[in-house]
Amino acid sequence: MQLRFEHFAATSMLGAKDSPPRNNGKLYFDRWWERQAFGIAIALSKKGHYEWEDFRQGLIASIGEWEKTHEIDDSSWNYYEQFLLALERLAVTSGALSSEEIEQRISDFSQSDACKVHEQLPTQFE
Amino acid sequence: MAEMFSYDDDREQKSAARVRALESLLIEKGLITGDTVDQVLKYFETEMGPFNGAKVVAKAWVDPAFKALLLEDPTAAIATMDFPSGMAGAEGEHMIAVENKPGVHNLIVCTLCSCYPWPVLGLPPYWYKDPTFRARAAREPRAVLSEFGLEFDDDTEIRVWDSSAQIRWFVLPEQPAGTEGMSEAELAALITPEAMMGVARVESP
Repeated sequence: MQLRFEHFAATSMLGAKDSPPRNNGKLYFDRWWERQAFGIAIALSKKGHYEWEDFRQGLIASIGEWEKTHEIDDSSWNYYEQFLLALERLAVTSGALSSEEIEQRISDFSQSDACKVHEQLPTQFE
Repeated sequence: MAEMFSYDDDREQKSAARVRALESLLIEKGLITGDTVDQVLKYFETEMGPFNGAKVVAKAWVDPAFKALLLEDPTAAIATMDFPSGMAGAEGEHMIAVENKPGVHNLIVCTLCSCYPWPVLGLPPYWYKDPTFRARAAREPRAVLSEFGLEFDDDTEIRVWDSSAQIRWFVLPEQPAGTEGMSEAELAALITPEAMMGVARVESP
């Protein structure tokens, strides 16, 4: 049968360095932005903006960079920060966005009050 | 207290702003829409999880004929349920259910994630693919189960099943006492992937 792209993408990461956090048989997100980043990364690859394997290699690289500059038990580790970094880089190298427009938009958002609102997902999806 | 956490809050704000920036630009350029993320995640939140396995177990608890069919011909039993089309194919085929009962406890192990019955159990926990876990589970299952909080007397037989590309095992756990009057949906909510791997019991609510 035809494998769903979402299924392929998630399972290809399991057991490897880029394996995403999960809990009780489900993907686990601490914050709304982690879930958004995950969904965007899969959606862009599904639409052909880049190969999923290229995203994985970028993520493995960003995780490797973090590990080189932090202790292995550093409690500030957040998988999705590295995920987001890999996504931003690939959004640029794939030609979807330019780094200038990303920086400008981040700057706009950082100065707006809208971003100060904490949005948080419940820790479990049902 | 607030100061102690201000750094983390700041990081959170920055990450959130960066994701907002990406998403808004991608939407403006027509590369994604406002509900793209929800569409992608809907798959993980409704199909690729332990939901289906839990429904199978709950139905087996309340329906003796279904339970008999599940143990005899799991593919046929699962086919009678109203599951998404992926359920019967991909990683879900060639499944065999093994029943926990007084005197018999089953434990499922596997070396490769490709052997894991995703459509029934969802995504595997991180330790499942750990070579140490697998080797120890085969060699000293009682010690491993004890570390998961499961103790068995010497009279209980521990059966270890190693999933392969040909056969993916899953455990039909024992129904907890005091839940006899509950509906299938209520029962399904109690069942965890760990229980269907044999490293946990299903607890009464």
